[in-house]
Amino acid sequence: MTPESHLPLAPATFQILLALVDGERHGYSIMKEVTARSDGAVRMGPGTLYGALKRLLEGGLVEETEERADVEVGDDRRRYYRLTKFGLRVARLEARRLEAMVRAARRKKLIGTEPA
Amino acid sequence: MTAERVYRLLLRVYPRDFRSEYGREMTLIFRDEYRMCDTAALTFWVSMVWDVAHSAMSMWADVWIARGKNYTRTVEVVMKFAGILAASLGVFGVLNAVAEGVAMRGTLERPPLLGVVLGGAAGVLLIAAGAAVVRSTRSARNTATIALVTSLLIVMIVRLTHPWMSELSELIGIGLPIALLAALHWPRRRDDSSASPA
Repeated sequence: MTPESHLPLAPATFQILLALVDGERHGYSIMKEVTARSDGAVRMGPGTLYGALKRLLEGGLVEETEERADVEVGDDRRRYYRLTKFGLRVARLEARRLEAMVRAARRKKLIGTEPA
Repeated sequence: MTAERVYRLLLRVYPRDFRSEYGREMTLIFRDEYRMCDTAALTFWVSMVWDVAHSAMSMWADVWIARGKNYTRTVEVVMKFAGILAASLGVFGVLNAVAEGVAMRGTLERPPLLGVVLGGAAGVLLIAAGAAVVRSTRSARNTATIALVTSLLIVMIVRLTHPWMSELSELIGIGLPIALLAALHWPRRRDDSSASPA
């Protein structure tokens, strides 16, 4: 599959990819990052998160790394996920697609000319 | 009953494969969320139940789409075998018509020339239909339909004009085209390769 064939990404999927751009994370860390980045506007439950992660793994956008405990959260061993090169390309393409849409909205004066 | 046990029960609505792959991780997240929860218990549970309900529906949709694709692939394989069978029986029909024509030439009875020629033509049409079924494109399907209907008509004419037609020949000449026509035009799900975006 080409990167373009994955577009447009579902909002939850793009949020997960954005969270993984900084490096590998486990599920709870992805959820916290998404909530913090959106100032609490986007809240993702475990089902939505792992449903999206399953599809991302199957599509080769994300891969699992070693399982280990996160001392900040607890002793339980957790699965960590990271972006693949392919996943990064898809995330970039989606970001460009959204940027083009925002530019079009600005030209139509739907939003201000300067980013808020 | 602890909150975690209630959540584990909720997880039973997911497909078994998904649950066994991610159930433990989801329960860990639930535990973290429950511990850090800064909203009312009711709000928390409503959000959890909502999350389970809509993500489980999505997971089941994926399962059914995958099953649909498997079904389509199975039907395609069966149709290819049916096409090869039809073509083989067509070859047999042509050879049989030629053999009968040759064998009856020296006898006192006048060879049933029309029957032999029509039998051979029906065989050729079965070969064409079989080849078209194997190709399995839309235009090939139309070709197969025309060839099968024509072959069926020819065999029925032969059956009416030559009532001594064997039961095996009737089965091959009439039963097979009807079965293939039914299989070709049986309503079936289209292969939906454009699953929902990742």
